[in-house]
Amino acid sequence: MAIADLGFDIQHESLDFLTCQHRAAMDPMNYDIYEQCFHNLDIVWYWGALQPIETRRIKQWDNIGDLAKTGGISKYTWTGHGDAPVRKLYVQPDGTLGQQPMPTISMLPTAHNVDSFGYDTRLFGAEGPEGSSWAWLLDRRARGRIALVDEPAIGIFDAALAAEANGDLTFQDIGNMTVDEIDSLMALLETLRQQGFFVGSWVSPDQAEALVHADRVSVQSMWSPSYANLGPMKDVFRESFPREGYRAWHGGASLARHLTGSKLDMAYDYLNWWLTGPAGAVMARQGHYMTNAEGLREYLSPEEWGYWYDGDIARCDLKGPDGRIVVRQGQRRPGGAYRERVSRIALWNTVMDEYNYAARSWNRFIAALGAATP
Amino acid sequence: MTGKQPNSGQEPLYDTISRILRHNITSGRLPDGLVLIEGPIAKVMQTSRAPVQASLRMLNAEGLIHRFRGRGYLVGPALPGLRPIRKSLDEFDFEIPSSSRSALAVRGTWQRVYDKVEAEIAACQIFGEFRVIETELANHLGVSRTVARDVLSRLNERGLIRKGATSHWLAGPLTARTLREKFELRSIMEPAALRLAADWMDHAQIARVCDQIESGMTKDAAELEDALMKYCLSRAPNSALVEIITNNRLLLSAMDKALSDLGLPVDTVALDQYGTLFRLIKSHQIHAATEYLREHLRILSYKSLARLKIVALIPESDSIPKYLSRV
Repeated sequence: MAIADLGFDIQHESLDFLTCQHRAAMDPMNYDIYEQCFHNLDIVWYWGALQPIETRRIKQWDNIGDLAKTGGISKYTWTGHGDAPVRKLYVQPDGTLGQQPMPTISMLPTAHNVDSFGYDTRLFGAEGPEGSSWAWLLDRRARGRIALVDEPAIGIFDAALAAEANGDLTFQDIGNMTVDEIDSLMALLETLRQQGFFVGSWVSPDQAEALVHADRVSVQSMWSPSYANLGPMKDVFRESFPREGYRAWHGGASLARHLTGSKLDMAYDYLNWWLTGPAGAVMARQGHYMTNAEGLREYLSPEEWGYWYDGDIARCDLKGPDGRIVVRQGQRRPGGAYRERVSRIALWNTVMDEYNYAARSWNRFIAALGAATP
Repeated sequence: MTGKQPNSGQEPLYDTISRILRHNITSGRLPDGLVLIEGPIAKVMQTSRAPVQASLRMLNAEGLIHRFRGRGYLVGPALPGLRPIRKSLDEFDFEIPSSSRSALAVRGTWQRVYDKVEAEIAACQIFGEFRVIETELANHLGVSRTVARDVLSRLNERGLIRKGATSHWLAGPLTARTLREKFELRSIMEPAALRLAADWMDHAQIARVCDQIESGMTKDAAELEDALMKYCLSRAPNSALVEIITNNRLLLSAMDKALSDLGLPVDTVALDQYGTLFRLIKSHQIHAATEYLREHLRILSYKSLARLKIVALIPESDSIPKYLSRV
């Protein structure tokens, strides 16, 4: 799509989280644009692999939403713990990243979303007006039928939110845990593992979907697009609207350090293309949001806009990016409208200060758990 | 160096050191009033501190040197009005007679062995917590357990390992907390040392470093950090402070080295900052230099925390020596 719009060739390469981060930092000569999330940015930025983006060259800059620019959709909303994009957005005069507005940024904010977990209504019943609780993710009733996403900047927070919600642990700052807090969390997970709580872990969303299809999970980490791919389990396995709030992420695109001249101009064209509308419409049909929402409104039908952004009941069946029906008439998006959902962010996906320590503990836990084999 | 006592039949090391010092004092190479401190002497002789301590006590008993109100000893008899001279040994015509060299050379091996183990133990800590097994270390180095124990107690002295609850030697993990604490210590101690060193710094060398920076010859921030230590901070007339600063930096330098081995590009911002810092020192603006150093350390701490995160992506190296076992 971008190729047709821009008139030059683009090679896309999709990598898993860790490989992408690793390549972006260590091998900056072999790509022009780095697209990942704000929480992955620290590592790549401080490795010196990227160059600042001049906001005056971003045509839609003024229309980019406050969630990315100031931290919340209004100054009264809570920004959330952890790597909120604004904390890494602006390039400060000393070369570090911070929230003081500056003329250059580290990463152009694009797609984003809020995540929770999926649960089996046959076990947990309906959510009720209060919403569900992250505590369900480590609920004894689901013992033996729980799965977590295996990504140390994401899965560890699903588990931490659950452990805090059910009263097992408390964190002083859940977005930047101490070594002792990480030890307590991993010890709790290890105990639960030994008691047979977990059926496994998953790395890619299709593995998560397969666990649902096989009816092997009652509750698990799950991401927005997967709810459209559950087939006959769709009415049984639902997306939670957690009363403690969501775990959020924000994607973006950055410029490689080596770009200059016409290649740099093309890279800016590509960044600008992201915010033209069609790309955001594709994102919307999988449930993701775009940072300049109004800019893509004309590329969605009123019914699509109503369901995905305004939290309305679907007035007709809605199709996903590949043309399949993903939403049936009469459904309402769990959590409601964009503003409602993003004003309830408990924390962001985060690469904590103790990430090295946490990731190594997490990987030992996952190795003991053994990957889920649907 | 073998499992056997390497220089059996030779004189004890402190005798060798005493002989060298005595030679330099009686021949007038070292002036009366020069401050003698164990650390720098141990470095010149490539030995540990203990034998230097012993030989300084001997020379004190012989009346060749004497104690004074500061740390260390002064060369010569205690005469009223004698002013302590604080200069490094290499500023004098310090001589190690060839007959003593061979005795020291054997000990130099010990130093090299120690340096290697120190580097390995510092480097492993980014990967987590390790137990250091004394017998394995002795086998690995081909030395007796006594020597291995010597090496371990020196590492302990320098804060690189510690005794666990079960009396095992433990190293690491280097966490963000450790890093933050070490930088906090740096920002307390290093500006203080810079201020204390104001009248003792080596301005000829500082001018040389400034020239090198201006001509673009310096391409490595670590080099400038070493120069700052050598020509400025270590000149502070408080050897206890200098020692703490040196030891506190060990783990941080090991991490920097591990990261640059992985291909961390040159930190040009840090290079610029050292340039500014050295210019301030060169023009004797010590107060400004002290403040600038504090700010520089704050930024460095922030960047180091971010860089530590990438270590998570590096698999535990296969090159971790066998005497280290994962806890």
